Amino acid sequence: MKYLKNFFPRLAIILIGLSSVLFSAQANAECGNVVVASQNWASAELMAEVDKVILENGYGCEVELIPGATMPTFASMDEKGAPDMNPEQWANAVYEPLNKSVAEGRLVIANKAPITGLGEGWWITPGTIEKHPEIKGMTALEILEHPEWFPFKEDPSKGAFVGCPAGWGCQLANANLFKAFEMEKKGWVLVDPGSAAGLDGSIAKAAESGNPWLGYYWSPTSIVGKYSLIHLDFGVPYAGDENWNGCIVKPEQECADPKPSAWIESEVNTIITTKFAKQGGEDIVKYIGNRTYPGTVMNGMLVWMADNQAGGSDAAIEFLSKHEDVWSKWVSSDVANKVKAGL
Amino acid sequence: MEFFTKFPVMERTALMELKKSIDLSFRLFSRKYGDAIESFFDPLLFFLVRLEKLLLATPWPIIILVVAILAWLGSRSWKLVVGSAVAFMLIGYFGMWEDTMATVAIITVCTILCIAVGIPIGVFMSKSDRAEKGIIPILDMMQTIPSFVYLVPILMLLGIGKVPGLIAVCIYALPPVVRLTNLGIREVDKETLEASDSYGATPFQKLTTVQIPLSLPTIFAGVNQTIMMALAMVVIASMIGVKGLGVPILRAISNQYLALGLMNGLAIVALAIIFDRITQQYGKRMQKHRGIQQK
Repeated sequence: MKYLKNFFPRLAIILIGLSSVLFSAQANAECGNVVVASQNWASAELMAEVDKVILENGYGCEVELIPGATMPTFASMDEKGAPDMNPEQWANAVYEPLNKSVAEGRLVIANKAPITGLGEGWWITPGTIEKHPEIKGMTALEILEHPEWFPFKEDPSKGAFVGCPAGWGCQLANANLFKAFEMEKKGWVLVDPGSAAGLDGSIAKAAESGNPWLGYYWSPTSIVGKYSLIHLDFGVPYAGDENWNGCIVKPEQECADPKPSAWIESEVNTIITTKFAKQGGEDIVKYIGNRTYPGTVMNGMLVWMADNQAGGSDAAIEFLSKHEDVWSKWVSSDVANKVKAGL
Repeated sequence: MEFFTKFPVMERTALMELKKSIDLSFRLFSRKYGDAIESFFDPLLFFLVRLEKLLLATPWPIIILVVAILAWLGSRSWKLVVGSAVAFMLIGYFGMWEDTMATVAIITVCTILCIAVGIPIGVFMSKSDRAEKGIIPILDMMQTIPSFVYLVPILMLLGIGKVPGLIAVCIYALPPVVRLTNLGIREVDKETLEASDSYGATPFQKLTTVQIPLSLPTIFAGVNQTIMMALAMVVIASMIGVKGLGVPILRAISNQYLALGLMNGLAIVALAIIFDRITQQYGKRMQKHRGIQQK
């Protein structure tokens, strides 16, 4: 019978069409529950909240944000496979364990550079230059010869160098660089600010009263923008990966002989667990791979957050409303429309 | 109907402007008076730094001896003397000596300050109902407001370091001794007070010879609570840069080092128990004349 001649091919086409529709619908619905780390600083909060909005509205996931910080979040993802994603993993702090994890198939680096224009290192306040004009243009190495320019409140005979709080990778790096540059011998004290609030508070106080301040910070951040901190040239070249990854970022007892070095090129990755990579599917992994914030945009958002005292969720809405040209490039147009509709 | 499901919030920009104007006025205040306030606390800072240096520089056998002597003077109990000495030796053996000395320095100053300030306030409160009504809400605020809320203005005025840490600890640790002094004095038997009146006691004599001695149990309960709360604040103080046992605990929390956190935590507990038992036993011995049963 004539109609049967085309029946099976037609049936096959219909079945294939149906199954592909079902399968793709299932792929999105399968997204399910996702846990994203929202680390305890402004840019990380913003990234986590933006991811939450896009994954929920655009890809149908159920996103839960949990607090975190560089070291504990990485340790948790490595050991326990939770949370599923860390949008702003500062990779220098965990270079070797991260590579091992990727090689052993536990974690995936979904985006090698989600923020451009990064800078970590040592900064001074403008007040320092006002009080000591000869400091202008000096490298860090030269400044280290003058602890008397940064008197430590509790012991004015020493200079205060403010390091990082516990839990941040830079705490270890600064402690080892302190040793490498022989700062204790030169009359410096490595001041532990105790917390992110302590570090910010110490900069805010020094900047507001026009006093000198020397310590660690990073960009893009609102503090750097607000108080116009000046980035210092280290005065020594970067002393190689082996020194940095094998010694400087390790705890003091594992780093016997740190060599003085400029700060490594900062690297931030978005890392996800392999479980989430499979669960989320190709589309989500592709979105994360495309999701790159230009440094100027991120800086602008951070200054906005500081001026408006906005939290991550408000900032995410502001970002998605005002910077459509940036984020619409990260996703397909139908996902973009879904996100816009959900705003 | 939406009026009833979602609370009518103040207009967003107005709320933001309000918050920003409060921030700005505080910033101007701190710019103008920050340095003056900082220099006001300089003598206290100087004293704290010297005390810490003294404790760190003294050889450890002398410190353990002093602790043992204080335990004996306070309690006359061999168990406490031996216990304190052993606890301190274990603390030193496990590598926590410097941190413990730093904590002991700041907590000692804090406790003495709190007691010296708190007991007079408590006495004042007990004399006047109006004073009590006015001060109790302030005490409530000091005890319940989350520490970082008042740490932010302190950070802006005084930066990080020992003095802001001391202020933070004192704000939290002061209320118990004030409240309990007030309570103790108010609860002194009215008939005993009448009797002292009939003997012609002046108010000051009443206070020093009748009211305070009779309310000592309650006052010492207040001192005990103050010591406990001061030690509990050690970790918060280390969040704004105070050296001591709080620093390794913060590190342990942030990096998930269980053993480090546990050991330093237990050191704080040991300090609390030693301080507390010494002061409690001293308090009990001060009241021996009342025939209070000693266990």
